[in-house]
Amino acid sequence: MQKPSSKFLAWLSAFIFCFLFWLLLTWSVAPRELILGGVVSAIVAAFSGRFLIHHQAFYLYNPVRLIVLIFYCAIIFLWEVIKANFAMAKLVLSPRLKYEAGILRIPASDKVQSEYGLAMVSNCITLTPGTITVDVAEDEGGKNYYYVHWIDVAETDRDKAGEAIKGRMERWIGRIWK
Amino acid sequence: MRIAIDILLGIGVFFILVGVLGVNRMPDVFGRLQASTCIATMGTISVVLAGILYAVSNGGETVTYVKLAVLLLLVMGTNPISNHALCKAAYKMGVKPARELVIDDYKEDDPE
Repeated sequence: MQKPSSKFLAWLSAFIFCFLFWLLLTWSVAPRELILGGVVSAIVAAFSGRFLIHHQAFYLYNPVRLIVLIFYCAIIFLWEVIKANFAMAKLVLSPRLKYEAGILRIPASDKVQSEYGLAMVSNCITLTPGTITVDVAEDEGGKNYYYVHWIDVAETDRDKAGEAIKGRMERWIGRIWK
Repeated sequence: MRIAIDILLGIGVFFILVGVLGVNRMPDVFGRLQASTCIATMGTISVVLAGILYAVSNGGETVTYVKLAVLLLLVMGTNPISNHALCKAAYKMGVKPARELVIDDYKEDDPE
């Protein structure tokens, strides 16, 4: 499945990612730090490259995608988190503690079907208080479903519930990952 | 600037308090996991933002707020993974929710 060149590209992509992260952590350009970081990143990338990168090694190194990613994290996702946090605070501070929990099967949109996209959507669902992704499963037709534990089920219709839980987040993630 | 920092810290502490209260008041594992997410999101975001503002206004070095931002990234990146794992493990172990679930598709389909 993997040609030698694509293996090398996967290693290179993981290496660049690890090295950038090392630079962020140490925040110094002393030669000693750079050499040590390079060696550590090369070793880590050799082990993790084939798990991290599946196809199209340089998919995320694209200025448009990076800008959309940063905009999504800083504005869209933050707004969803703030809204959900206030709903959760209202629920917890109410004296009766009345809620109706449930686990729903929510279809993933056709645009977000890659592993990275699914992982990012399910992590974002989990990070908004009130919803936790329990599992992601694939049916016979190759369509993916999230199983979401929702603390206060307002809508039992699966499509409408999906729109309420992840509609806007998924549309933005669809612009970053396929 | 000082006021902004205080407001951000206040918001952070308030949501951490909400999370702790939720963990104490919720009747079962799933509700507790849900409430604890408040601590990891709004609590951490506000407190880290306050820290960054403080470092900027008091002439801290660049390394301080870069490290704070990396800290935020790490917390936000690792928290959902442990939450998935705990929730799924609790469900598969057969932990009964305190109140009957309104709708339970996971039991009907039972993947794997």
